[in-house]
Amino acid sequence: MIPSDHYTRFYNEVFKFLEAEGEEVLEAYFLAISKNQEQHILELIETKGLAGMEEYWTHIKIEENCDMDIDRNEDRLELRMNVCPSLSKVLDSDAEPMARYCDHCAGWIGPIFDKTGYYLVYDVIDRKKPQCVMRVFKDEAKAKAAELDVKLLMGWPGHKVS
Amino acid sequence: MSEKLRYAEEGEVHLDFHGATNTTIDFIIGKFGLAAMDEIFRKVGKDVYRSIHEDLIAGDTGQLVAHWRHFFTRESCDYDIAVDADEIVLSVRHCTAWHHVAKLVGTPSSHFCDQTSRTNEALAEGSPFIIDTEITGPGACRQVIRRR
Repeated sequence: MIPSDHYTRFYNEVFKFLEAEGEEVLEAYFLAISKNQEQHILELIETKGLAGMEEYWTHIKIEENCDMDIDRNEDRLELRMNVCPSLSKVLDSDAEPMARYCDHCAGWIGPIFDKTGYYLVYDVIDRKKPQCVMRVFKDEAKAKAAELDVKLLMGWPGHKVS
Repeated sequence: MSEKLRYAEEGEVHLDFHGATNTTIDFIIGKFGLAAMDEIFRKVGKDVYRSIHEDLIAGDTGQLVAHWRHFFTRESCDYDIAVDADEIVLSVRHCTAWHHVAKLVGTPSSHFCDQTSRTNEALAEGSPFIIDTEITGPGACRQVIRRR
Protein backbone atom coordinates (compact mmCIF):
# COMPACT_ATOMS: atom_id res chain seq x y z
CA MET A 1 0.00 0.00 0.00
CA ILE A 2 1.24 3.43 -0.87
CA PRO A 3 -0.10 5.31 2.17
CA SER A 4 -2.69 7.99 1.45
CA ASP A 5 -0.20 10.36 3.09
CA HIS A 6 2.17 9.66 0.20
CA TYR A 7 -0.31 9.86 -2.64
CA THR A 8 0.98 13.28 -3.69
CA ARG A 9 4.53 11.97 -4.02
CA PHE A 10 3.22 9.11 -6.17
CA TYR A 11 1.11 11.62 -8.16
CA ASN A 12 4.29 13.63 -8.78
CA GLU A 13 5.92 10.58 -10.40
CA VAL A 14 2.83 10.08 -12.55
CA PHE A 15 2.93 13.72 -13.69
CA LYS A 16 6.58 13.47 -14.68
CA PHE A 17 5.83 10.38 -16.77
CA LEU A 18 2.80 11.96 -18.44
CA GLU A 19 4.47 15.30 -19.12
CA ALA A 20 7.19 13.42 -21.01
CA GLU A 21 4.47 11.71 -23.07
CA GLY A 22 2.87 15.02 -24.12
CA GLU A 23 0.47 17.73 -23.05
CA GLU A 24 -2.59 15.93 -24.43
CA VAL A 25 -2.13 12.89 -22.20
CA LEU A 26 -1.50 15.07 -19.17
CA GLU A 27 -4.80 16.83 -19.87
CA ALA A 28 -6.54 13.51 -20.44
CA TYR A 29 -5.28 12.41 -17.03
CA PHE A 30 -6.53 15.59 -15.35
CA LEU A 31 -9.93 14.87 -16.88
CA ALA A 32 -9.84 11.26 -15.61
CA ILE A 33 -9.07 12.51 -12.09
CA SER A 34 -11.76 15.17 -12.47
CA LYS A 35 -14.28 12.46 -13.35
CA ASN A 36 -13.13 10.47 -10.31
CA GLN A 37 -13.58 13.53 -8.09
CA GLU A 38 -17.13 14.15 -9.28
CA GLN A 39 -18.32 11.45 -6.90
CA HIS A 40 -17.11 13.59 -3.98
CA ILE A 41 -18.16 17.10 -5.02
CA LEU A 42 -20.55 17.25 -7.99
CA GLU A 43 -23.79 16.68 -6.08
CA LEU A 44 -22.75 19.18 -3.39
CA ILE A 45 -22.24 21.87 -6.03
CA GLU A 46 -25.40 21.02 -7.93
CA THR A 47 -27.62 20.99 -4.85
CA LYS A 48 -26.00 23.58 -2.58
CA GLY A 49 -23.89 25.79 -4.85
CA LEU A 50 -21.24 27.84 -3.07
CA ALA A 51 -22.34 26.42 0.29
CA GLY A 52 -21.76 22.90 -1.06
CA MET A 53 -18.27 23.87 -2.19
CA GLU A 54 -17.58 25.30 1.27
CA GLU A 55 -18.78 22.03 2.81
CA TYR A 56 -16.47 19.99 0.56
CA TRP A 57 -13.36 22.08 1.20
CA THR A 58 -14.02 22.29 4.93
CA HIS A 59 -13.86 18.49 4.92
CA ILE A 60 -10.69 18.59 2.79
CA LYS A 61 -9.10 21.18 5.06
CA ILE A 62 -9.47 18.75 7.98
CA GLU A 63 -8.56 15.49 6.23
CA GLU A 64 -5.60 16.87 4.29
CA ASN A 65 -4.32 18.91 7.23
CA CYS A 66 -4.41 22.15 5.24
CA ASP A 67 -3.49 25.57 6.56
CA MET A 68 -6.28 27.23 4.59
CA ASP A 69 -8.78 30.05 5.07
CA ILE A 70 -12.22 29.60 3.56
CA ASP A 71 -14.43 32.62 2.96
CA ARG A 72 -17.84 32.62 1.31
CA ASN A 73 -20.21 35.43 0.49
CA GLU A 74 -23.22 35.82 -1.80
CA ASP A 75 -21.09 36.09 -4.92
CA ARG A 76 -18.12 33.86 -4.45
CA LEU A 77 -16.15 31.32 -2.48
CA GLU A 78 -12.50 32.01 -1.73
CA LEU A 79 -9.95 29.42 -0.62
CA ARG A 80 -6.73 30.97 0.56
CA MET A 81 -4.16 28.21 0.92
CA ASN A 82 -1.49 29.45 3.30
CA VAL A 83 0.47 26.19 3.35
CA CYS A 84 -0.53 23.59 0.79
CA PRO A 85 0.18 20.09 2.16
CA SER A 86 0.22 18.60 -1.33
CA LEU A 87 3.04 20.71 -2.80
CA SER A 88 4.79 20.79 0.59
CA LYS A 89 5.13 17.00 0.50
CA VAL A 90 6.33 17.02 -3.10
CA LEU A 91 8.97 19.60 -2.22
CA ASP A 92 9.91 17.51 0.82
CA SER A 93 10.64 14.37 -1.15
CA ASP A 94 13.75 12.49 -2.17
CA ALA A 95 12.35 12.45 -5.71
CA GLU A 96 12.56 15.46 -8.02
CA PRO A 97 9.42 17.64 -8.01
CA MET A 98 7.59 18.09 -11.31
CA ALA A 99 7.98 21.78 -12.16
CA ARG A 100 4.27 22.19 -12.98
CA TYR A 101 2.94 20.13 -10.08
CA CYS A 102 0.45 22.87 -9.12
CA ASP A 103 -1.30 22.61 -12.50
CA HIS A 104 -3.15 19.49 -11.42
CA CYS A 105 -5.39 21.33 -8.99
CA ALA A 106 -7.11 23.61 -11.51
CA GLY A 107 -6.73 20.67 -13.90
CA TRP A 108 -9.30 18.59 -12.06
CA ILE A 109 -11.57 21.19 -10.46
CA GLY A 110 -11.81 23.57 -13.44
CA PRO A 111 -13.74 21.09 -15.61
CA ILE A 112 -16.21 20.48 -12.78
CA PHE A 113 -16.94 24.22 -12.48
CA ASP A 114 -17.34 24.40 -16.25
CA LYS A 115 -19.95 21.64 -16.00
CA THR A 116 -21.83 23.30 -13.18
CA GLY A 117 -21.87 26.87 -14.47
CA TYR A 118 -19.42 28.52 -12.08
CA TYR A 119 -16.38 30.62 -12.94
CA LEU A 120 -12.99 29.73 -11.52
CA VAL A 121 -10.13 32.16 -10.99
CA TYR A 122 -7.12 30.18 -9.84
CA ASP A 123 -4.08 32.16 -8.73
CA VAL A 124 -1.17 29.77 -8.17
CA ILE A 125 1.03 32.79 -7.28
CA ASP A 126 4.32 30.88 -7.64
CA ARG A 127 4.67 27.20 -8.58
CA LYS A 128 7.58 26.82 -6.18
CA LYS A 129 5.68 28.01 -3.13
CA PRO A 130 2.96 25.98 -1.41
CA GLN A 131 0.34 28.68 -1.41
CA CYS A 132 -2.44 29.76 -3.75
CA VAL A 133 -5.78 31.54 -3.89
CA MET A 134 -8.79 29.99 -5.57
CA ARG A 135 -11.94 32.00 -6.14
CA VAL A 136 -15.17 30.65 -7.58
CA PHE A 137 -17.81 33.08 -8.84
CA LYS A 138 -21.43 32.82 -9.83
CA ASP A 139 -21.03 35.74 -12.18
CA GLU A 140 -18.68 35.64 -15.17
CA ALA A 141 -18.06 39.40 -15.20
CA LYS A 142 -16.95 39.34 -11.58
CA ALA A 143 -14.61 36.44 -12.37
CA LYS A 144 -13.14 38.35 -15.30
CA ALA A 145 -12.57 41.36 -13.07
CA ALA A 146 -10.89 39.15 -10.46
CA GLU A 147 -8.51 37.77 -13.10
CA LEU A 148 -6.91 41.21 -13.29
CA ASP A 149 -5.73 40.83 -9.72
CA VAL A 150 -3.73 37.59 -9.89
CA LYS A 151 -0.02 36.80 -9.98
CA LEU A 152 -0.07 33.49 -11.90
CA LEU A 153 -3.41 32.60 -13.45
CA MET A 154 -3.93 28.90 -14.00
CA GLY A 155 -5.90 27.32 -16.84
CA TRP A 156 -7.31 23.81 -17.20
CA PRO A 157 -8.41 21.44 -19.98
CA GLY A 158 -10.78 23.35 -22.23
CA HIS A 159 -9.88 26.70 -20.65
CA LYS A 160 -6.48 27.94 -21.69
CA VAL A 161 -5.06 31.16 -20.35
CA SER A 162 -2.53 33.25 -22.23
CA MET B 1 18.96 -0.83 12.90
CA SER B 2 17.58 2.56 11.92
CA GLU B 3 13.92 3.11 12.70
CA LYS B 4 13.99 6.82 11.88
CA LEU B 5 11.39 7.56 9.21
CA ARG B 6 12.19 9.86 6.28
CA TYR B 7 8.44 10.58 6.01
CA ALA B 8 6.33 10.37 9.15
CA GLU B 9 3.07 12.23 8.64
CA GLU B 10 0.73 12.82 11.55
CA GLY B 11 -2.75 14.33 11.82
CA GLU B 12 -5.78 13.29 9.81
CA VAL B 13 -5.78 10.90 6.85
CA HIS B 14 -7.54 11.42 3.52
CA LEU B 15 -8.47 7.93 2.39
CA ASP B 16 -10.11 9.16 -0.82
CA PHE B 17 -6.59 9.47 -2.23
CA HIS B 18 -6.70 5.70 -2.61
CA GLY B 19 -9.60 6.16 -5.04
CA ALA B 20 -7.44 8.51 -7.11
CA THR B 21 -4.63 5.92 -7.05
CA ASN B 22 -7.08 3.36 -8.41
CA THR B 23 -8.16 5.73 -11.20
CA THR B 24 -4.50 6.47 -11.97
CA ILE B 25 -3.59 2.79 -12.26
CA ASP B 26 -6.43 2.13 -14.70
CA PHE B 27 -5.58 5.27 -16.69
CA ILE B 28 -1.86 4.53 -17.06
CA ILE B 29 -2.35 0.84 -17.88
CA GLY B 30 -5.18 1.65 -20.29
CA LYS B 31 -3.12 4.21 -22.22
CA PHE B 32 0.44 2.95 -21.88
CA GLY B 33 0.31 -0.66 -20.70
CA LEU B 34 1.39 -2.52 -17.61
CA ALA B 35 5.13 -1.93 -18.08
CA ALA B 36 4.65 1.85 -17.83
CA MET B 37 2.74 1.52 -14.56
CA ASP B 38 5.36 -0.86 -13.21
CA GLU B 39 8.10 1.64 -14.09
CA ILE B 40 6.31 4.42 -12.19
CA PHE B 41 6.02 2.18 -9.12
CA ARG B 42 9.70 1.36 -9.53
CA LYS B 43 10.49 5.07 -9.32
CA VAL B 44 8.32 5.37 -6.23
CA GLY B 45 10.27 2.54 -4.61
CA LYS B 46 13.71 3.79 -5.57
CA ASP B 47 13.31 7.59 -5.67
CA VAL B 48 10.45 8.61 -3.38
CA TYR B 49 11.48 5.96 -0.85
CA ARG B 50 15.20 6.40 -1.49
CA SER B 51 15.95 6.46 2.20
CA ILE B 52 14.30 3.07 2.83
CA HIS B 53 15.87 1.69 -0.37
CA GLU B 54 19.34 2.80 0.68
CA ASP B 55 18.87 1.34 4.15
CA LEU B 56 17.94 -2.00 2.58
CA ILE B 57 21.00 -1.88 0.33
CA ALA B 58 23.05 -1.33 3.50
CA GLY B 59 21.40 -4.44 4.99
CA ASP B 60 19.08 -2.57 7.36
CA THR B 61 15.37 -3.43 7.39
CA GLY B 62 14.57 -1.21 10.37
CA GLN B 63 13.11 1.78 8.55
CA LEU B 64 10.90 -0.35 6.31
CA VAL B 65 9.41 -2.18 9.30
CA ALA B 66 8.91 1.14 11.12
CA HIS B 67 7.29 2.55 7.95
CA TRP B 68 4.88 -0.38 7.85
CA ARG B 69 3.96 0.06 11.52
CA HIS B 70 3.49 3.82 11.21
CA PHE B 71 1.33 3.86 8.11
CA PHE B 72 -0.69 0.66 8.56
CA THR B 73 -1.56 1.93 12.04
CA ARG B 74 -2.42 5.41 10.73
CA GLU B 75 -4.83 3.89 8.23
CA SER B 76 -6.40 1.57 10.84
CA CYS B 77 -5.49 -1.60 8.94
CA ASP B 78 -5.82 -4.97 10.63
CA TYR B 79 -2.26 -6.30 10.48
CA ASP B 80 0.64 -7.71 12.38
CA ILE B 81 4.35 -7.98 11.85
CA ALA B 82 6.35 -11.03 12.88
CA VAL B 83 10.12 -10.64 13.05
CA ASP B 84 12.30 -13.71 13.33
CA ALA B 85 15.86 -14.64 12.46
CA ASP B 86 15.14 -15.69 8.86
CA GLU B 87 12.32 -13.45 7.75
CA ILE B 88 10.05 -10.55 8.57
CA VAL B 89 6.40 -11.11 7.74
CA LEU B 90 3.75 -8.42 7.44
CA SER B 91 0.31 -10.02 7.44
CA VAL B 92 -2.47 -7.66 6.35
CA ARG B 93 -5.91 -9.06 7.10
CA HIS B 94 -7.83 -5.89 6.26
CA CYS B 95 -6.21 -3.35 3.94
CA THR B 96 -8.00 -0.05 4.48
CA ALA B 97 -6.88 1.23 1.06
CA TRP B 98 -8.40 -1.69 -0.86
CA HIS B 99 -11.63 -1.70 1.14
CA HIS B 100 -12.03 2.08 0.85
CA VAL B 101 -11.70 1.85 -2.92
CA ALA B 102 -14.17 -1.04 -2.97
CA LYS B 103 -16.62 1.20 -1.11
CA LEU B 104 -16.06 4.01 -3.63
CA VAL B 105 -16.11 2.13 -6.92
CA GLY B 106 -17.31 -1.41 -6.24
CA THR B 107 -14.40 -3.40 -7.59
CA PRO B 108 -10.87 -2.03 -7.32
CA SER B 109 -8.59 -2.32 -10.34
CA SER B 110 -7.23 -5.85 -10.80
CA HIS B 111 -3.82 -4.14 -10.63
CA PHE B 112 -4.55 -2.13 -7.48
CA CYS B 113 -2.20 -4.21 -5.34
CA ASP B 114 0.64 -3.80 -7.86
CA GLN B 115 1.41 -0.59 -5.98
CA THR B 116 2.54 -2.86 -3.14
CA SER B 117 4.16 -5.69 -5.10
CA ARG B 118 6.09 -3.53 -7.57
CA THR B 119 7.12 -0.91 -5.02
CA ASN B 120 8.37 -3.66 -2.69
CA GLU B 121 10.42 -5.16 -5.52
CA ALA B 122 11.97 -1.76 -6.27
CA LEU B 123 12.73 -1.12 -2.61
CA ALA B 124 14.68 -4.38 -2.46
CA GLU B 125 16.45 -3.98 -5.83
CA GLY B 126 20.21 -4.24 -5.40
CA SER B 127 19.88 -5.09 -1.71
CA PRO B 128 20.65 -8.35 0.14
CA PHE B 129 16.88 -8.86 0.52
CA ILE B 130 13.89 -9.88 -1.53
CA ILE B 131 10.42 -8.73 -0.61
CA ASP B 132 7.67 -11.09 -1.78
CA THR B 133 4.09 -9.88 -1.83
CA GLU B 134 1.39 -12.55 -1.84
CA ILE B 135 -2.21 -11.46 -2.24
CA THR B 136 -4.10 -13.72 0.14
CA GLY B 137 -7.62 -12.45 -0.49
CA PRO B 138 -9.66 -9.32 -1.23
CA GLY B 139 -7.85 -6.55 0.62
CA ALA B 140 -5.48 -8.96 2.29
CA CYS B 141 -1.86 -9.84 1.69
CA ARG B 142 1.34 -11.19 3.12
CA GLN B 143 4.60 -9.31 2.57
CA VAL B 144 7.79 -11.16 3.40
CA ILE B 145 11.31 -9.78 3.67
CA ARG B 146 14.01 -12.42 3.53
CA ARG B 147 17.66 -12.60 2.57
CA ARG B 148 18.45 -13.62 -0.98
